[in-house]
Amino acid sequence: MTLALVLHDWRLVERIVGLTNRLGCALTRLDLHLRDRLYHATIDVTGPPDALRRLDAQLTRLLNDDKEMSR
Amino acid sequence: MPDPADSTGSQLILDILSDEGVDVVFGYPGGAIMPLYDALHRHSIRHILTRHEQAASFAAGGYARATGRVGVCMATSGPGATNLITGLLDAQMDSVPVVAITGQVRTPLMGTDAFQEADVTSIAAAATKRSVCVRDVTDLERALRAAFRVARGPRPGPVLVDVPQDVLKAACPRFNAFAARPIAVANERPGDAALSEAVELIRRAERPVAIVGGGARSANATQMFRELCALLELPHTATINGLGCAAPHDPRFLGMLGMHGWKAANLAVNSADLVLALGMRFDDRVTGRPDKFARNAVVVHADIDASEFNKVIPVRVALRGDLRHTLAHLLQRLAELEHRPRFSGWAAQAKALGGPLPADRTPQGELSATEVLDAFFAVAPDDAIVTTDVGQHQMWAAQRARASHPRNFLTSAGLGAMGFGVPAAMGAQLAFPERTVVAIVGDGGFQMSLPELATIKRYALPVKILLVDNRRLGMVRQWQELFYERRYSATDLSDNPDFVTIARGYDLRAERIDDAGEIRDALERFLVAREPRLLHCACFPAENVWPLIPPGATVADAMECRPGENLESEAIPA
Ligand SMILES: Cc1ncc(C[n+]2csc(CCOP(=O)(O)OP(=O)(O)O)c2C)c(N)n1
Repeated sequence: MTLALVLHDWRLVERIVGLTNRLGCALTRLDLHLRDRLYHATIDVTGPPDALRRLDAQLTRLLNDDKEMSR
Repeated sequence: MPDPADSTGSQLILDILSDEGVDVVFGYPGGAIMPLYDALHRHSIRHILTRHEQAASFAAGGYARATGRVGVCMATSGPGATNLITGLLDAQMDSVPVVAITGQVRTPLMGTDAFQEADVTSIAAAATKRSVCVRDVTDLERALRAAFRVARGPRPGPVLVDVPQDVLKAACPRFNAFAARPIAVANERPGDAALSEAVELIRRAERPVAIVGGGARSANATQMFRELCALLELPHTATINGLGCAAPHDPRFLGMLGMHGWKAANLAVNSADLVLALGMRFDDRVTGRPDKFARNAVVVHADIDASEFNKVIPVRVALRGDLRHTLAHLLQRLAELEHRPRFSGWAAQAKALGGPLPADRTPQGELSATEVLDAFFAVAPDDAIVTTDVGQHQMWAAQRARASHPRNFLTSAGLGAMGFGVPAAMGAQLAFPERTVVAIVGDGGFQMSLPELATIKRYALPVKILLVDNRRLGMVRQWQELFYERRYSATDLSDNPDFVTIARGYDLRAERIDDAGEIRDALERFLVAREPRLLHCACFPAENVWPLIPPGATVADAMECRPGENLESEAIPA
């Protein structure tokens, strides 16, 4: 699974790694670029379909809080 | 215009806390956070000195659970901050709004293994919604405002704000209360198509069951939930965090669901053709084996957090939004139906699926914990706030509690953290000084919170502690008995201290009972007093919690007594 994520706070990478590991998935690529004061991350993750679905949902929740936290 | 630099980071923090509606904070001082404590000394916010930082975070959680407002705790860097973590994770698991403020070593020292340095934002990251370190005083107000917003919702939870000592001391402009009101969270509601589909499923259902969870408490949706159940004559059950949502004495309430839930509740969900899951998250203590849970039912799941949909149980219709709005829309649509379904017949059948709660019969002359708790709930005031610790007493209490509101039964549900009961009761009592607040605790968990007797004494908090002492780590002992062939490893507490003497050492009134004949009078003295009290109930050590659905099993495997015994134990009427 490839995900394109927009982070306000680059330190969230730590949580992305933590959650990926927690759900038994593996991170095989992580690119991070600063553009217009936002961090654009592209991640490749492998793992069981159920875990990938949960990871996707939990990252969405994380990014919603990140957005609110940066206001 | 205020003077550009007539305040400090510490002063600013306290002024913002006041502006966010905070009237009390729980904490413990230390080196890095001294500037904040210095400012607190002159500030109107009330500070409650707990005797351990863990109790500060549990107390903040108790305050927040009882009120719905953000609970605040604070601690110094390093060990102070790490001691908060369990209480923060508890708040995270049960979606409780808490803001923690921690002191940090000065910014030039960060990363040098300085004295009492801990990378607390990393440590707390997995235990909070967010944890941030504010390295510049000009960012302090924005970060703290954001912390309160994120803690409040849409799905509440804990946020940690770490502030280095130099930032606490830094000069900054005075805070301008008028310009800085918090922004309200948007009231989200599900889409029309999903609502219509949900209504259609309800209309066609023959055996629907509603399961209400802690989300109804967070969303203040209790009344709406009761209206839905009344309108449809709907049988309903609750997760442990949803207890109190059902209308008191509603005959369609089937009791708590899950591992130690009521038989009727578990069987009704098992035979349901429609499950309305309202603000609950299908915890494994609720579902048992997820592939066997409510196998005959389609599921309509309403929640504020989309990541909960299909996480454990496949959902036919997902209603994402604030539960109060979701229920309001559902109610309106259902009320407009020409042929509105009513499920009174099925509700009666569902209720009849299970009998009374099974309970162990204790030997003659021994005090039964379930008898004590039955007697307690029979006489406890309707608006009493009950907290529990974790273990058998928690499950016995959850089975029996008839809370009139979900903010009246407070327990560490998701985390199951021992040591929660007493400090959470302190938090609730500070929020509601006039109400009866009772902490039901086991002898194991009570000993994790003993130092808080000093806090109770100092602030004259009339918290009542009902100690169910079975001289064992009872819940673990029960599992050793049932699933580890009675190898009782490290669960014997028969050399417990004399709890009455301990309480008296803190200058608190305490009484011990060990005979069933004493229960009624002792409870009366206990509840009538307008002062803190310990009622030490010396109970039989081997009483078990029934029913029990073994982990990973189904309702069909529910145990109601020890293997080989008959279910002829004294039954307690429903
Ligand atoms: C902090 C913490 N440590 C360990 C546990 C595991 N645990 C769950 S219940 C329990 C026994 C609790 O004993 P007690 O407080 O005496 O209550 P009882 O079960 O006897 O009612 C233990 C050790 C826990 N839930 N929390």
